[in-house]
Amino acid sequence: MVVYNDNANIFETVNSEQNQKTTLTEYFQANIDYPLAREEPDTEGVASVEGRKRKPSPLQRGGTLDGEQAEGKDPSAATLGKSKPLVTSGDKFSDPRWIKGTWDLTKFTKDAKVDWDAVINAEVLRRKWLEENPEASSNSEPVLFETSTVPWWAWVKRFHLPEAELLNGRAAMIGYISAYLVDAATGVGLVDQSNSFFGKLLLFITVCGVLLIRKNSDIANLRNLANESTFYDKQWQATWKDSKDTEKSGEQ
Amino acid sequence: MAGCVQAVAMASTGVSFTVSSSLSSTHACSVASEAAQAFVRADGGACKSSLRVLSSLSSSSKHSLKTFEGLRFSPLSAAAAVSEVKGLQMPAQGSEMGPRRTTSTTTVVTVYAGKSSPKLQGRKLRVAVVGGGPAGGCAAETLARGGVETFLIERKLDNAKPCGGAIPLCMVSEFDLPPEIIDRKVTKMKMISPSNVAVDVGRTLNDDEYIGMVRREVLDSFLRERAEKNGASIINGLFLRMEVPKDEESPYILHYTKFDGASKMGTPAVLEVDAVIGADGANSRVAKDIDAGEYDYAIAFQERIKIPEDKMEYYENLAEMYVGDDVSPDFYGWVFPKCDHVAVGTGTVINKPAIKKYQTATRNRAKDKIAGGKIIRVEAHPIPEHPRPRRASNRVALVGDAAGYVTKCSGEGIYFAAKSGRMCAEAIVQGSANGTRMVNESDLRVYLEKWDKKYWATYKVLDILQKVFYRSNPAREAFVEMCADDYVQKMTFDSYLYKVVVPGNPLDDIKLAFNTIGSLIRANALRKESQKITVG
Repeated sequence: MVVYNDNANIFETVNSEQNQKTTLTEYFQANIDYPLAREEPDTEGVASVEGRKRKPSPLQRGGTLDGEQAEGKDPSAATLGKSKPLVTSGDKFSDPRWIKGTWDLTKFTKDAKVDWDAVINAEVLRRKWLEENPEASSNSEPVLFETSTVPWWAWVKRFHLPEAELLNGRAAMIGYISAYLVDAATGVGLVDQSNSFFGKLLLFITVCGVLLIRKNSDIANLRNLANESTFYDKQWQATWKDSKDTEKSGEQ
Repeated sequence: MAGCVQAVAMASTGVSFTVSSSLSSTHACSVASEAAQAFVRADGGACKSSLRVLSSLSSSSKHSLKTFEGLRFSPLSAAAAVSEVKGLQMPAQGSEMGPRRTTSTTTVVTVYAGKSSPKLQGRKLRVAVVGGGPAGGCAAETLARGGVETFLIERKLDNAKPCGGAIPLCMVSEFDLPPEIIDRKVTKMKMISPSNVAVDVGRTLNDDEYIGMVRREVLDSFLRERAEKNGASIINGLFLRMEVPKDEESPYILHYTKFDGASKMGTPAVLEVDAVIGADGANSRVAKDIDAGEYDYAIAFQERIKIPEDKMEYYENLAEMYVGDDVSPDFYGWVFPKCDHVAVGTGTVINKPAIKKYQTATRNRAKDKIAGGKIIRVEAHPIPEHPRPRRASNRVALVGDAAGYVTKCSGEGIYFAAKSGRMCAEAIVQGSANGTRMVNESDLRVYLEKWDKKYWATYKVLDILQKVFYRSNPAREAFVEMCADDYVQKMTFDSYLYKVVVPGNPLDDIKLAFNTIGSLIRANALRKESQKITVG
């Protein structure tokens, strides 16, 4: 059990003359003792200052996000609170096939061979359970299972092949329709289309498009990724942009 | 190729003089010294053009992994700690270290920036360093040794700044830290994934390598006292504001409250200096006064917990890192051993108001290992995420946390603070010719350019790691899986401990790339599957 020691002088005192908060510990002290003041309604006949914005607190500034975004770039359903916890009594994860921190493969046999699909399902359930009921990490019962135990072909068969079938189907449909339309419009047949540079370019764009954009949300995701990868560079270059501006204005 | 070293000297109109060099090979080092000797020192004329080969070459070639000793008094570490500033190459008076062999291969030539930095009449250059942490202490020491009149303003001389307290090995050698400062030598780390897969990291470390855990109050006072011994004046005062001068000659006027024991509230005082180094941390007032701009910051929240002896044995030289959505959406939770207790904490940028929830989750994850403990201190502090838009303005430069030099992914800041303080001070000493001339913004930009060139790659790599591996639970699982690999551990520790990226075997790199992609794909596949399954 951890005990909170109330008497310890754990926060730095603020010198009220300077009226400065030098660390954020004071802010936390305020939050523990006094709830944030609620907004009260205005008094009739007394106008409030127009457009007055309270300066956001240190916890609201500096990159803090709101709402679902604040839970991370790719939060799990458990952190968003969208799924109910599997068990509320605080039970630890247990499964007869989970022995000593790893899946006992002998319990997954089907026709004298290991049923990898069942292993994957079991691991999925375990991870889902732990997402919703996080457990303390323990030295006496360490988790030793590695996903690389499951052979590569099991992963391909289970996850890659269905998706690949879907994508190939889409590409084939788009390809057929485009080839037909181009032929109808220009009279150029399929073989001649693929000989031209323009044709090859369109083919490339189609393949990339089918691979990268599978859901509507992918377009926004790709744009965000592009921004993200250059954002940090821009932040570092900011100091040099400033010096270029001052040099330019100095020359004028 | 000789192209590695470029010296761009603008002729008589004398604009700033930049020397850039690459860190990569000893070949570049020898080429550079030849190039340096080829430059002739020209007397007379508006612009004295002589060239100084910067330390990035000499120090990187000395950082050979196989011969690194890791102890303070070894001759190799003495050579590695040689600075390019001429004043520092002689044993300092009053220092306890004794004479050091200087085996520098640099040819010592000085740079004068600006066509007409006027010579100061009858006095030395005065520089104020605001803030007495690692950045301020190292900056003040370097300035004082370089012959500049230095004032170090620190508001609380026994401040225990909330900090993880981990320093890499290169810091011990480069800054000559005595072994007494280091409380613990962490040689093992445990990374724990969201599904509690625990991986031991540190198998590849040899006997001399460790991550040093220090107490900030001990480290900071050591650095400050060393600065004082070298001639800096330490002022116990709270910096309030600064008046920026209108022209190149007038001094900066610093207003501060002096705590001299006479009154509890302190007496207002004023200090006039020619240049200012802002080393006052993440909530820097100097940065505000020069309109340096805002930055994103993480809130790091930490509880110091005193745990029973037998549990403390487990953390003897082991630190833990917990990753997961419950612990932080974009950072990690940690358990770091301190002198006689552990620090359990976590941090976040995007969800700061919920930091208490994350702290509770971290404590729960470590519950078994800290059971029976008592919280003795709770502390929090902001950690900058990226540099401020403007790090230098006229004769004011920012260093350390005030500038925002904290790496992503690991949140390491002490070494970079100390190094940037030293680099900035060296640029001032050089630009002022050991305190005899006035400096201007171009001298300070020399430091910025050198810094960006030297450490940009490090920062960018860590940024990419953070974006890829702290993104979601599957990515974190893949991250922990990757850390089990020996090659990854070796590369990570080498780059962390020595701050030099040593290119590994390309075949191993390709294998690593495949393994990383494989891990990410597997983890994401499991996650997608789990979203389809609802447990009844």
